[in-house]
Amino acid sequence: MVKILTVYGPLLLRAMRQTLLLALCGLLFACIIGMVFGLLSVLKNRACNLISTIFVDVIRGVPMIVLAYFIYFGIPYGVNTILGIGGFTLSSLQAGTACLALNCGAYMAEIIRAGIQSVDKGQMEAARSLGLPYWRAMVRVVLPQAIRTMIPSIVNQFIITLKDTSILSVIGFPELVNTAKNVVAKTFMSLQTWAIVAVMYLIVITILSRVAKILERRLNRGRE
Amino acid sequence: MAVNKENVKIHVSHLVKSFGKLEVLKDISNDIYEGEVVVVIGPSGSGKSTFLRCLNRLEDITGGTVVVDGVDITQKKVNINKFRENIGMVFQHFNLFPHMDVLRNVTLAPVDLKKMTKAEAEKRGMELLKRVGLEEKAKVYPPQLSGGQKQRVAIARALAMNPNIMLFDEPTSALDPEMVGEVLQVMKELAADGMTMVVVTHEIGFAREVASRVIFMDGGYIVEEGTPEEIFNHPKEPRTIDFLNKVL
Repeated sequence: MVKILTVYGPLLLRAMRQTLLLALCGLLFACIIGMVFGLLSVLKNRACNLISTIFVDVIRGVPMIVLAYFIYFGIPYGVNTILGIGGFTLSSLQAGTACLALNCGAYMAEIIRAGIQSVDKGQMEAARSLGLPYWRAMVRVVLPQAIRTMIPSIVNQFIITLKDTSILSVIGFPELVNTAKNVVAKTFMSLQTWAIVAVMYLIVITILSRVAKILERRLNRGRE
Repeated sequence: MAVNKENVKIHVSHLVKSFGKLEVLKDISNDIYEGEVVVVIGPSGSGKSTFLRCLNRLEDITGGTVVVDGVDITQKKVNINKFRENIGMVFQHFNLFPHMDVLRNVTLAPVDLKKMTKAEAEKRGMELLKRVGLEEKAKVYPPQLSGGQKQRVAIARALAMNPNIMLFDEPTSALDPEMVGEVLQVMKELAADGMTMVVVTHEIGFAREVASRVIFMDGGYIVEEGTPEEIFNHPKEPRTIDFLNKVL
C-alpha cells in the first residue's frame, strides 16, 4: 500500500486530474445539449418535441461503451473511408467529451423537461396575460422556479457522469481507471491499487455533493 | 358606473372554441361596452371560464371573431403581447410568482416591458398596493400571504400595466369564506372607478350589487342575459330558473 502510494501516488493524482478534466468538458457540453433538447421537448411544436424524444430515446437505448467505440473508432473510419477524407482522427479526449456530453445531455434534457413541467402552468399564463412574450416569461418566471426543483437531480447526474468517465478507459484516455490498470499490471497489487482508486473517487464525489448541498440551501433561501 | 353605449370595448361574434373533438363554446355573440361590469354565471362545464380566456387569447380561438378595442385578436398577425398589456387578468388560483416579493410581482411587467423605469414602477406599485390595502406587505414573499391577500396582490399586479379592461376568472372560488369580502370590496371599488370588467363568479350577491349586466351560460351557449334584476328576479328561460333554484 505504502509502496503504491509513494511510487505511483503522483501518477494516480495526475490521472485523477485527467478524470476531472474529462468530466468537466463533458458536463459543460452536456448542459448545453440538455438545455437545448429540454426546451425543445416543452415547446408547443410537434416537430421539436419529436426531435427531442428521438435524441433522448436513442442515447438512452445505447450503452455508453458502445457509444464510446462508435465515436472513437466508428466516426473516423466513416469519415476516412466512406467520405474519402484521409487522416481524420479524434483524440481520446475529444471522443470522450463527445460521448459524455451526449450521454449526460440526454438525461439532462429529461431533467430539464420534468423541471419545467413541474411548474404550474398558471405561472406561464399569468406572465403571458401581463403581456410578457413567451421567452421572457420562460426566463423570468418559469425557469427560476424550475431550476430549484431540478438541482438535486442535476447534481445526481453530475455524479453519475463523473463516475462514467471510468468507462472511457476503453478508448485509452489516461483517466484514473486506465492508469490504475497499468499500475496493477506492473505491480500485481490489485487489492491495494483498486482500494486507493475507490477512495479517490469517494473523496471527490463527497466534496462535490457537499458543495451542491450548500448551493441548494442558498438557492432556497428566502423562499419559505 | 357610467356605461358608455357609444363605445364597444369587446365585440364577440359567433365565437366557437373546441378542445379536440369537444366543442366547449358553440356560438357566442355579445358586445361589452366601456364601463360595463359583466358578470358571467352558469354551471361548471358551461364554458364560462373558456369564454373569458378567449377574450385575451389565453385559449386559441377555433372560430368566429373577437374584437377588443378595435383589434381583431383572431388575426394571426396581431401582436398579442402588446394587446395583452391593455387587458388585465385575475385567476382563480392567484398565480403569483412565488420567487419574487410582492412589489416585484407588481413591477415585473412594467419594468421588463420597458413601460416604466424601475423607480416609476415601484412608486406606481406602492400606490397600487396601497389601493388594495397591502402596502406593508411589499417586501413579503407570496407564500407568506393569506388567500385574500394573494388575490389582492394579483389584482394590483394586473393593474400595473394600466389596462382598460379587467378579466376575473372565479377570483373568490379558492378563498376561505372570511376572505371573500376583502377581494370583492377591491373589485367593487374598481367597478366604481369605471373599469370595464368581465367577471366569472359564483358570488350572486356581488352580481346583484355590482353587475351592470348578467350573462347566464350553459352548454356552450349564452342562454339568457339581462340586468341583475331581470336575471335573478324574473328569469325567463327554464335552464336559468333551474340553475338559480340550485344556487340561491
